[in-house]
Amino acid sequence: MLEKPSVIRHYRWHVGTIAWLLHRITGLLLIFYLVLHIWVIHHISQGPAGFNKVMGVVQTPIFLLLEIGLLGCVLYHAFNGLRIIVIEFSKEGVEAHKQIYAAMMAVAIILFLIGGVPMFIHFLHALAG
Amino acid sequence: MKFPRTSGGFYAWLFQRLTGILLVILLLIHFAVTHNLPKGGTLTYAVVAPRLATATWKVFDLMFLVCALFHGLNGVWMVIQDYVHSETAQMWIYYGLCTLGLILLILGAITVIPFKA
Ligand code: HEM
Repeated sequence: MLEKPSVIRHYRWHVGTIAWLLHRITGLLLIFYLVLHIWVIHHISQGPAGFNKVMGVVQTPIFLLLEIGLLGCVLYHAFNGLRIIVIEFSKEGVEAHKQIYAAMMAVAIILFLIGGVPMFIHFLHALAG
Repeated sequence: MKFPRTSGGFYAWLFQRLTGILLVILLLIHFAVTHNLPKGGTLTYAVVAPRLATATWKVFDLMFLVCALFHGLNGVWMVIQDYVHSETAQMWIYYGLCTLGLILLILGAITVIPFKA
């Protein structure tokens, strides 16, 4: 039988573990997106026809929906990243780490709503044609 | 010979943080101006080209490119070091990431620098 080694006392999902895992996953998704983004935008060198063609493809409803997820990834990664930096650079930060996490996530959520709601409406319009 | 990687070091750590802070600022400007959020709208050549033709946006986009590529690829390198332990494999991945970074840097630079509307 597979058993947890007894030296490992606890292997639970803490808020810190989830925050770290999400930071890692969103970071990897973002660099993957960056590669595609550089390649897509490079089409502008081909002039209006080539650029509008590729931009037409990446602005179809499915992409518009995925873009809202992208905004979520960016905002989570950015504000969790700032949390990491603040906590590393200040002594008070370590003591108040829960409050700092809550504050950063609050800002991220507000920005997500400000950007995401219009994006979603835009998506619905595109869907309706 | 030991693979002379520089990571795990002070500068990799420091520049990950510096580029991270810069990226927050650059991204907020990028969303507000390039993507016209919160209003949004469809992006076409007619919208993008006049902006990209100006020196200010060229400098902005090049800074953005350098910061994001360094941060993203250095980040991937940090992740790799957590999971790949063989020195040889690490070395090949390290040079692979450097090559990828160089290719993307050139691709981005030749998109932005010579652009005329
Ligand atoms: C928007 C502002 C951003 C901030 C403030 C930020 C901050 C950070 C910080 C502080 C780390 C180090 C985490 C650690 O040492 O444990 C990190 C890791 C990482 N970042 Fe960012 N980042 C930002 C944007 C980006 C972007 C645009 C990308 C993709 C191109 C990206 C990709 C990564 C990756 C792949 C990692 C490695 C993840 C890991 O080690 O688990 N980040 N980020």
